[in-house]
Formats: sequence, structure tokens, C-alpha cells
Amino acid sequence: MSDELRVDSGALIFATLADVYISSGMIDEAISILKDGLARNPNYHLAKIILGRAHFLGGDVDKAIETIESIYEEVKDSESANLYLGHCYHKLNDNEKARKYYETTLKINPENMEALHELEKLIPDFTPQPQVEITEPAPVVEPVVEESQVSEVSETPIEEVEVAAVEEETETAEIAAAVPVVEEAEIPQREAVVEESDESEVAVADQVIEELPEKAVEIESVPLEALDKPVKKLLDLHTVKGVFLSTKDGLLIKNYDKGKHDVETTCASIAAICMDVDESFRLLKRGGLTRCIIEKSDETLCVMAVGDSLLTVVTRVEAKPGLVFVYARKIIEEIEEILG
Amino acid sequence: MKIDDFTKIPRVLGAGLVSEDGFIIEGQAKFEYDTEKLGAIAARVVNRIKNSLGVAKASAIIYTKDNVLFLRDSADGIAFVICQKDANVGLVKIRLDKFA
Repeated sequence: MSDELRVDSGALIFATLADVYISSGMIDEAISILKDGLARNPNYHLAKIILGRAHFLGGDVDKAIETIESIYEEVKDSESANLYLGHCYHKLNDNEKARKYYETTLKINPENMEALHELEKLIPDFTPQPQVEITEPAPVVEPVVEESQVSEVSETPIEEVEVAAVEEETETAEIAAAVPVVEEAEIPQREAVVEESDESEVAVADQVIEELPEKAVEIESVPLEALDKPVKKLLDLHTVKGVFLSTKDGLLIKNYDKGKHDVETTCASIAAICMDVDESFRLLKRGGLTRCIIEKSDETLCVMAVGDSLLTVVTRVEAKPGLVFVYARKIIEEIEEILG
Repeated sequence: MKIDDFTKIPRVLGAGLVSEDGFIIEGQAKFEYDTEKLGAIAARVVNRIKNSLGVAKASAIIYTKDNVLFLRDSADGIAFVICQKDANVGLVKIRLDKFA
């Protein structure tokens, strides 16, 4: 792809190549190629967003903000522009601005898990995904709001408007069952939308009603942030490069890797090794793996079974695995409790 | 250094050298342990580590409920030592480092 780029330096393919570089952790290369490409295509906004992202990932937050904000008016509907501005301001501890950009991201894509996760951190009582127990989606309701109803809407709390609209337009048993849950869970979020939005309340009410069927399939999230505190004890060891939790079948639960690992691949590989060990030891009738140390030329992986999960600690070669296990053993109970 | 240098360490149950395809080159184990089986396990796990993590030489210490298994890829083959979990694991590791 590099050769291709050299042949046609004006090609917009440079943004794709830069994205690949970023995914591979080659931030400097990505920045260099983006600057070069943008010099030839200064109006290529996507490339500027990627450049902002590269600056952010490279640790230059101010430059990231400067880059994305320089084109923000043109890309204000871009999910990633808002997300990375949110990340940048979050890093600068400007939580107010961070929150604003995360909320905009969620308005563009309500399923952006990164923005949801960060907002949950910023607002501890943030409840973006209320659990509504409906098995089948309800029919889409399009209420006809007359002028007289508009004034009523503006003075009535949103959840009441929503419930009233639902009751008027649908008589299905599923919706009736869902209403009490919606009343409890949606109040804070809907109020926030009203505060932030310049649209009329009628439009908000429309949006609320249209969103109702989608919420039926959303699942309550596990508070994995509780893992941050125990894991931090391990991360504080200067020889520890990263920590990640995965299921025994290799699916990533939470990543605290400070390095540039392909964590998902590493999780899958470690799970495969553990499964092999378990199966092998079954031959000897000597029980399954409880922990293991895998020494590589550039790092050491200390893996521990934590209930149905695997805790992997990536350390430098010179680290003392004994010390890592002592610390890990201290936090394993806490992790087990959190993961249930 | 020889294989029986390992088996002389208290609570070491077996040790050996095995080819990459799992055939025993040399091995010693207490009567309830089968060096053939241990060798096959050692080769399987080492090959799995090499393939999964993309490393040229694999080295691992595996703890189970009662035992600790040491695996070390060396020029002569894959060295393995199995001991009880209350053995002097550090000493076994030092000897294995010298052996490899």
C-alpha cells in the first residue's frame, strides 16, 4: 500500500493507510503520512479526524484538539470527531466539555459503547440503557401532536408524555408491562436531553417514542469499573506492563494493557494454551491449571485462573513472577466477587 | 548437567528430554508417573505456546492443584520437570536454566 501511495500521492488512500498504521501502534508513521496527505488534500476532513485521533493516541492532546476543532463545524455530525474530542477533554480533566462531546456522540450513535462507558465514569449515576423487559418490539408509534398538545408537552415531564403517548397509541400487553420500568429508568436521561437540545420538546417526545422498541433488546451492563481499583495495585508495580481479564474460552473481559498488544489475540492464545494444559493434565489425573508463567524473549506472561476467568499479567523479562503472584493473589478474591 | 540432577531434588517427581514430536529422548520418573505421557504433554504444550504466541523458543511453568510442571525449549529438545507443588520451585528453575 505504501508503494501505491507513492505512485499517486494525491490519492485519498493515505487516510486508510494511516488508519492501519494507527491500529498497528505506528502512531508516528500515521501522523507523518496524514500530514503529507493533508498537504495535498487540505479539505479531506476524515483525514483530519484521523490525524486528531493519532495525535491523541500519541499523547499530544492539545494538538489533537486543535486539529479536530479546526474542522469541527464541518464535521459536527461525525461520531469519531465528537468521541475523540470527548477523550481529549477528559484527559485534560475538563469534564464539562468531555461530557458535552460524549453526549453528542451518543446522540449520533446511541450504541457507541466507548462514549457510554466514559459518560458512566464522568456521571456515576448515568443510566444510558434502561432495561425494559419486552420480548417483542412494540409497533413504532407516530403520535400526531397538535398545537394545544405542544404547550402541554412543554410543561409536562417527558416520561409522562411518553407514557401517555404509548397508552394512547398502543394497547399491547408488552408495552403496558414496560411502562413502569421506563418511568423509573429514563427520567435522568430524558431531562438531560431536554436541557442540551435546541429542538422542540415535541421532537424530543417523538424521539423518545421511536426509541422505545430499540430499548427492548438492550442488556444491563456489568459494573466492570469496580475492577479498576484492585487491578491498579498490580499496575502500580513498575515491571508490570499490562493486565487483562478474559474468559476461559478466550474472550476479553477487560483490558488494562499499557503496551501495544493485540490483546484479543493474546487472550485467545492464552486460553488455547490453558485448555491444552487442562486437557493434558486430565490424562495424568492431576487436576487442571491454576496458574502458569510463560516466558517470552521480550516479556513474561503470568496467567492465573480466577473462577471462570483468566487474569493475565504481562510483565517485563526482569520482573519477579513470585512478586506478581503475591500481589495477584491479594486481588483475586476481589475480582471473583466483582465478576460473580 | 544430567536428568538425574533434577530427580535428586526433594519432591521432584520426574524429569526428561523429549523431541518436538513428543518422543522421549531421556527421562526419569517416580513409579506412578509415566515419562512417555509427561513427554507427550510437554511437547504438546510447548508446541501450542510456540504456535499461539509466535515465539521461537517457549518456556513455561505450569501450576496445577498438586504439581508444578516446568517446560523449557532447548537445542537438544524440550526439557521438562514435574514436581510436587511444595518442592523448591526456585531451585528447579535455576537448574533447568543451566540445563537449557
